[in-house]
Amino acid sequence: MEQSKILNKSNFKIWSRLGMRATFGIAALEVGEKSEKLLVLTGDVSTSAGLDRFKKKFPNKYLDVGIAEQNLIGIASGLASEGFDVITTTFAPFQTTRCCEQIKVNLGYMKQKICMVGLASGLALGTLGYTHCCIEDVGILRSIPNLTIISPADSAEAVKSVFAGIKHKQSVYIRLTGGANISQIYEDDYNFEIGKSITLKPGKDISIFATGTMVKVALDCANILEKKGIDAEVVNMHTIKPIDFQKIKDSAKTSKLIISIEEHNVIGGLGSAISECLSDIELSPRHIFFGINDTYSKGGEYDFLKKKFGLTPEQICKKIILNLKK
Amino acid sequence: MTSKKKYSEMFKNSLNVDKKKITENLKYNEIDEWDSIGHMTLIAALEEEYKITFETDDIVDFSSFNKGIEILKKYKVNIS
Amino acid sequence: MYNQNQVSKIKDLSIRIRENILTMSLSAGASSSHFGGSLSTVEILATLYECVMKFDSTKPLWEDRDRFILSKGHACLGYYSVLCEKGYFKKEDLNLFEKNDSYLLGHPVINKNKGIEFSNGSLGMGLSLGVGVAIAAKKKKKNFKVFVLVGDGECNEGSVWEASMSAAHFKLENLTAILDNNSLQQTGKNNEIMSSESLAEKWRSFNWDVKEIDGHNISEILTALNDTSKKPKLILAKTVKGKGFSFSENNNDWHHKIMTKNQYDAALKELRGAK
Repeated sequence: MEQSKILNKSNFKIWSRLGMRATFGIAALEVGEKSEKLLVLTGDVSTSAGLDRFKKKFPNKYLDVGIAEQNLIGIASGLASEGFDVITTTFAPFQTTRCCEQIKVNLGYMKQKICMVGLASGLALGTLGYTHCCIEDVGILRSIPNLTIISPADSAEAVKSVFAGIKHKQSVYIRLTGGANISQIYEDDYNFEIGKSITLKPGKDISIFATGTMVKVALDCANILEKKGIDAEVVNMHTIKPIDFQKIKDSAKTSKLIISIEEHNVIGGLGSAISECLSDIELSPRHIFFGINDTYSKGGEYDFLKKKFGLTPEQICKKIILNLKK
Repeated sequence: MTSKKKYSEMFKNSLNVDKKKITENLKYNEIDEWDSIGHMTLIAALEEEYKITFETDDIVDFSSFNKGIEILKKYKVNIS
Repeated sequence: MYNQNQVSKIKDLSIRIRENILTMSLSAGASSSHFGGSLSTVEILATLYECVMKFDSTKPLWEDRDRFILSKGHACLGYYSVLCEKGYFKKEDLNLFEKNDSYLLGHPVINKNKGIEFSNGSLGMGLSLGVGVAIAAKKKKKNFKVFVLVGDGECNEGSVWEASMSAAHFKLENLTAILDNNSLQQTGKNNEIMSSESLAEKWRSFNWDVKEIDGHNISEILTALNDTSKKPKLILAKTVKGKGFSFSENNNDWHHKIMTKNQYDAALKELRGAK
């Protein structure tokens, strides 16, 4: 476990008020204090990434390459090849799809080690339209070898992901979701390990696997289902690649139904990763995907969009109960 | 502690500064520590202490030590 | 600044590089090879590796070595040839070109122990890497230089211009880009595919120090590479695609083509006659 004084109860609470983006800035500051080799690169997004304080305190560890994401990854790779610990960040669609090939060649093929942080992934910026939403990043990056993909469940987990990502042996993509004031999953410091899912609530009837801000939705679902006599397990799949195959295998043995919930296209993301595992397991239970159904809808506020795609606890539970009756 | 002393103490702790920097005329961005991150940390602390949730407009309008006192009245918190 | 002895050495190396290019082309067989675009780079590579760059093939990871990036990755025949001549690997290995499980593929695959700094081939990416390495040098307070070879067709890629803009912004006087301006790209002349007139002006407007030279004139190459500048340097080298053999000069069929044994024999005869 990464030892850091900032990982405490009081900060966890404050960070959930700040949201993941501002909290990322705090994580960067903490790494900056301790590491001489750290360089944080952005594409003109310091304020959006909570990095203004970092920029002021560590101007020599901060590099803005302007609105040029292909160059961002190229420069980052050049720096990584010379021994620097590099973090890159910009909004998720630009961090991943704009420079996708550079990620493939530099991070995947050449294995230059970089920690990429995608801001405001999912539907959080729905009022700005889908150019600024990102429902494809996990699906696209999953098919690039040598890349780890993490989607933290709350602000504290975002900090722990950054700490772990910097130390990880291969490149990492950290997908930040939600806006300011997001639900707090963790009260106090806990053991976070890349690739090891966390069972937040045990349950013997069904298994709900969720990632990012949908983890809170999954917990709320479990509460609703409990009142209906359904005992649901809730698993935080913070690491989507490499997926925790063992956990999926264990749950498939006993659960009547597998549920996956993600703020991402149902094609290619967490659900697909889980399904790939289930298809290899004999007599695995049925699996229902919850996510965005492969469409770019009209935009709107975050809550409005989540409801539109059936991603509220009430909507999800209704469908689960219906399916259990079958 | 009087209410104002507690309010001032929250500024000191959230912004992580010496108490002599917390004056009644203190404004947002006037000191390095009261930047956007400092601001949200302060907001979180005030919400926790007074068991309230600020509206977005009020978070934006909360531009100074004194303005904050004025805004808190709306949430039935009287600093004196 | 140069002397005749240097020019003579570079000329000899250029001939040996061309011989190796022939060897690999033939060895590639039906897979063919990027013959034309490699030949236009020969004098540039020979000059860099014979008289300009600091390196030690017995210590390929030497921290203070100059770095060379072949952004125009498909021109690797010349690159592998010069690395071989300079002792990074045995001559027999040239026959591994494009063979199964080989470390010498049709585009460079990163292998620093063999002198291959980065994987290139998808055009437009090498200059960004060069910018990153040059920034790293400054941060580490090291004096090594970074050289990036780009193609003219490659300058169609927007990413080249992102890198170009940033090199000037970050004041990278330790970075030199050499533009192999052979005026041809895969399916035709540059100006037919995507007009790229006034390349010199374009790079100057991006705040690079531009030097225009004959890319096969060794003394001009030496002078340009040895000149110092406070800005990143762009050496715009006017070259001939397929240079060195009568059948391939300016013949775009040789962008990527099979070399037959007969062609090989004739070419070798021509090369040895020219010695």
